[in-house]
Amino acid sequence: MTDVTRRKIFGAAAGTLAGAAAATATAQPAQPAPRDPADVDLFVKLSAALTGIAEAKLAPPVDPVQVKNDYYDQARSDPSFAALMQIIRTDSANPASAADKVMNNADAKIKFLGRSIILAWYLGAWYPPVVLQQPAPASPVPPLKVISSAAYTQAWAYRVAQAHPMGYSELRFGYWSDEPLRLTDFVA
Amino acid sequence: MTDKKSSGLHWFSPTFMRPGLALAAVGGFSLGALQWSVQAQAPAARDINPPVADCNTTQDTIPDQADPNKRVQQPIVPKLLTSGQPCAQIASGLGLVANNPLANRQRSFDFYSWLTFIALNSPADGKTIGQGPRPGGDATTKWESLANYRQLADVMLEKGVRPTWGERIVPDACKALDAPNKMILKLGEAAWNQPFKTGPLIDQNGNYAVFDILMNQPMFDFIDQNGLYSKQGQERFDNDVVFPLGNNPVTNNPDPTKNVPGRMGAVMIKVSWRILDPEKDKALMTKFHTVDALIYFPGPPATKTGPTCVAKTLGLIGFHVGHKTQFAEQWAWTTFEHVANAPDEEQVAKKTLQPPYSFYNPGCPTCPVNQTPPDPWDPPASLKFPTNDKSQVVRVKMLPRAVIQEVADLNRQFRALLKGTVWENYMLLATQWPAVHDSKTDCNGSPAPTYLANTTLETYSQGRVPLASSSCMACHGNATTQHVPATPSDFTFILEKAQCENGTCSAPAAGKRPAQALRCGLAGQLH
Repeated sequence: MTDVTRRKIFGAAAGTLAGAAAATATAQPAQPAPRDPADVDLFVKLSAALTGIAEAKLAPPVDPVQVKNDYYDQARSDPSFAALMQIIRTDSANPASAADKVMNNADAKIKFLGRSIILAWYLGAWYPPVVLQQPAPASPVPPLKVISSAAYTQAWAYRVAQAHPMGYSELRFGYWSDEPLRLTDFVA
Repeated sequence: MTDKKSSGLHWFSPTFMRPGLALAAVGGFSLGALQWSVQAQAPAARDINPPVADCNTTQDTIPDQADPNKRVQQPIVPKLLTSGQPCAQIASGLGLVANNPLANRQRSFDFYSWLTFIALNSPADGKTIGQGPRPGGDATTKWESLANYRQLADVMLEKGVRPTWGERIVPDACKALDAPNKMILKLGEAAWNQPFKTGPLIDQNGNYAVFDILMNQPMFDFIDQNGLYSKQGQERFDNDVVFPLGNNPVTNNPDPTKNVPGRMGAVMIKVSWRILDPEKDKALMTKFHTVDALIYFPGPPATKTGPTCVAKTLGLIGFHVGHKTQFAEQWAWTTFEHVANAPDEEQVAKKTLQPPYSFYNPGCPTCPVNQTPPDPWDPPASLKFPTNDKSQVVRVKMLPRAVIQEVADLNRQFRALLKGTVWENYMLLATQWPAVHDSKTDCNGSPAPTYLANTTLETYSQGRVPLASSSCMACHGNATTQHVPATPSDFTFILEKAQCENGTCSAPAAGKRPAQALRCGLAGQLH
């Protein structure tokens, strides 16, 4: 579905970790504008198609963390967000098709906003579309910011790696002496 | 009464022996016999988690008579005050909010917490809460009775001695001050220093707040019967530490083999107290649950001061309950506090303060907030902080707005039931519970809400920073035993307080790794 491979994600993760030290990791954002729950659901539906991770994993039915709200608020700060959401709104019965239209959109702002959203879910960090539009740099580019402390702990790159973010693990004491959990435990 | 620490012979209850006989018995036993008695001559094990006849199964909502597809609030009426203690939560996800199992389960847990609070704080003599003989209808509570709960210091005894359920232990230094109604609180660092050793809490009178930890009999029996009351006992225990679960009864299953009695499971309590002067604080005596206490300073290494004992009147300011239940194997974490502890951030910002507060001075708007006092911290026998520093505490907003509103609504209704009693002055902060109790990848079960702190028990770790800010499960999930290699201790730090047998901490031999059949995060596990 996407041209963002596992190898590219992990490479970007290294850049995120390097940049996170300089980025604002724990500052609490100002109170966001009210969200339309139906809109957030559409955003998650599109995100599932963009990332390849099931909706129920991105936003579980019983979800105390609600990191989807952090990513939604970040993405809607982009001027092209309304246009991107219109695509999934029109094609909500076929999110794969909507994702394809985003990732191959003639409007570069929408195309790269889709990529920013993928990286947000995987890395917990925001790479502005205008940055992603530039030619690939020689060394990893730090993100604009780590979106939130919840985003840092919930970033999917670590789960896909069957690992955990630095300084944060949800496993029991002594887990490091066991085999890693299976990938299917995380994503299935 | 023989001081249990010195004799180490728990089964010789001094109440049944004359002093001369007791001395002869002590003299007749060797250290080897003591070891024999601890390890090989244990009384026959009783059911750690026996059936309970009166589990409270009241739900927070009931079907709407007009529309059975909807639910309405359970009336919060006086009969709830005598409805008993829940053996477990009932949180189906159905409730007052359409299509929102998170919100509905949160409310179910918060309702269960209020029922638990009422049951535990009901008089130990069986009367209704708020109808005790003391001012404000106060009375010795169920959890303060040795028949129901035991303090941590009387479980993890000096020299790793096997504890005895129900036995009252009076340190020598306290005997001159003792009386039957006195509660004895033995100080160690955990009794005055906040979690993560973040410092003491000092009230506006300059007094230390003090803390205590207790456990119910199922939790005690698990520790006792598995020898976990000593360091070496834990080293010898090569199994998983899995405390017993509470469950509600099932009586209507068509398959009779699936009908089960209710059981309470393991319950642990942590309380915080402020010191009250019965004369100077006379007006406060009807606003706090109080106890006449003897505070024991054991002396080094536990306390710099001592051995000594001081008499104080204590007022309850914070109340944690941890209850291990079916579908909450990561435990359900309840926390209450006194309404006059501190304002919250919004009240400070909007200047809608309601003084007096125990831990906030409205007349000092520039006092640093939620900052630990300066060193040195060890309390003197007066329990007065050595300098003029006092804690300036503000309740940090860490809960989602919807939870704050739902809890405020429950508090308003339950406190109205308790009006006119000391108990109307206590409020629920929230309940933390595992939203995904069977998660293979999050062994803390995805705690909801993510963060939770009590202004008197986690004063300095309030916030929303992962692992730095207070979360009951995220912190307690890291607790381990003293086994080598260390093993998870099922969400309690109680086991780390066990002391060495005979006072000798020999180098441990590495034990077997437990089967860990129930341990979250094991690759290839079946559940």
